[in-house]
Amino acid sequence: MGVPSVPMITQRFEELVTTIAYKKGIPNMRITYTPHPITDRPAELCRQYVAGNDPLTGRPMLEEIYDSLTRPLSAEDAKAGFLKRDPRPRLIGPDTRDKLMEYFHEQGFTDGNPVILPTEEKVDEMLKATSRERDEWVGQMRPSPPHEAWYYTVEMVAVNAVMAGAKPDYFPTILALASKGVTSLFSSTSSFARMAVVNGPIVEEIGMNTGIGALGPMSRPNSSIGRSWTLISKNLGGSGKPGETYLGSQGNQLNYNNLCFPETETGLPEGWKPLHVQKGFDSSDSVVSIFSGWSINDIAWYSPLPIHEVIRGWLENFFSFGVSQATLILDPIVAADVASKGFASKEAYARYLADNTGTPGWLYWSEHPKELKQAESGVEPYAGWLKRGKDTVVPVSRYKGGRRGSSSFLASKDTNEPTTSIEIVVTGGGTNTFWSGGDFGYVGSASVDHWR
Amino acid sequence: MRKKTAGILVAALIAAFALSYGWGADEEKIVVMNPRGIMPEIRKIPMAPRPATLDGRTVYIVDTKYPNTKPFVEELFAALKEKYPKTNWVLRDKFAGYMDDDPKLWAEIKEKEACAIVLVGH
Repeated sequence: MGVPSVPMITQRFEELVTTIAYKKGIPNMRITYTPHPITDRPAELCRQYVAGNDPLTGRPMLEEIYDSLTRPLSAEDAKAGFLKRDPRPRLIGPDTRDKLMEYFHEQGFTDGNPVILPTEEKVDEMLKATSRERDEWVGQMRPSPPHEAWYYTVEMVAVNAVMAGAKPDYFPTILALASKGVTSLFSSTSSFARMAVVNGPIVEEIGMNTGIGALGPMSRPNSSIGRSWTLISKNLGGSGKPGETYLGSQGNQLNYNNLCFPETETGLPEGWKPLHVQKGFDSSDSVVSIFSGWSINDIAWYSPLPIHEVIRGWLENFFSFGVSQATLILDPIVAADVASKGFASKEAYARYLADNTGTPGWLYWSEHPKELKQAESGVEPYAGWLKRGKDTVVPVSRYKGGRRGSSSFLASKDTNEPTTSIEIVVTGGGTNTFWSGGDFGYVGSASVDHWR
Repeated sequence: MRKKTAGILVAALIAAFALSYGWGADEEKIVVMNPRGIMPEIRKIPMAPRPATLDGRTVYIVDTKYPNTKPFVEELFAALKEKYPKTNWVLRDKFAGYMDDDPKLWAEIKEKEACAIVLVGH
């Protein structure tokens, strides 16, 4: 922007910031580093940090800032043009299978597990499953907004599908996933997870597991379609390099196959629509839908309470990242039990949950300091809520409004029911009344038929 | 003669066994396809020319508002003011959250021919 400037970054992110600076075209950006972290540090410690040295250069922090803003530019600093990028050969080798496998691991092409080496023959076989040209652009993907986007073709997606162990029949679903341009390895210090739900005739066509163990490693299409998304994210979306294009502090096990499963449409109670129909597709369409979140709880608990109330209680107390969205994955038996209590649609039950869940007191008051002050000053309704005790549930739902900036929580077209930020999907083999719930929110859907 | 025949038979059996179990297959060299996508070109941006001194100039300290980093930002502001009193230090919060852009603020800084320190968490 033509302004002499210096960013200040905590030292933990040196690799990230120097890489991004390069990719943004300022390889010699003058950066001052601070000790890490600076968040939640008392003023006294911050004063020491500021009076001290840049922990990476060893120079006094304030003098370094001054110098960065006043030191004359070198010829290189002032130069325009283009920066070097690694060349991208279409083929790799020849070499032995063992050495190529090692090379793939070293280059970060894999998820750490062995892959099927993508020979031209195998990729050609994969490409036969789509009518699309191999050179057709599918999309672009980036690790997170500050990062650059990489671009990819049908052929490049096929290479990754082969590596993941997918059969050609699965390829249109994988192309549909790739077409959304959403990385499964989102770069944030919080370790994001993704979920992919498949609906429509494709589920039966390719033999996805809608029954016992649908969420587990029991099925080639469930496993390899989900794994493809991870490899696509790494290799086509430039994601997943720790410290540089991936910052999740602990990482997330769910990223191995991104909770890829089909909805058990035959297990839906009468009147409950499949997910893709809720999102505006026809029931005869084949669709893959993407969700984003962090965690999932598997709830196996017998209770004298009716199950729709158990779920309500769980949802009221559920806490992960402070988000206000949830997705319930119900076994068909659970869905039937819920429906039998008078909930004629997924939307009706979601509305019931949004209307009948409050927020745990400790969470509400810690996130609403302004309201806490008002409560302490006697302003209603806050004062009345606080009077009941700081840990008592506050009657404010976290799930009423829908997620900002997303069209995902629009009411279904034919009911006009108000929005909630609760999604419901049904899957499983009906061996017990168990269900899962987590902080996932709907991101979007893509037509599989479009990529056949 | 019988010994020789037996020797050939054993060798043939070993070879068949080796082949059936893929021995030697690892030595076969193959070509595979590159799984990587296409990276965009990087256009180099020349850095903004620097003033010889900050005396008499304005420098914005832009707080991107990463959660709970205000004490650091305020300590930095105070320390810079004390150490370089001839500079006009301005502490400003960026619009919205730390992930959001603030083109109005950038335009203001440019219009005033000021410099900027941009603080990012964590």
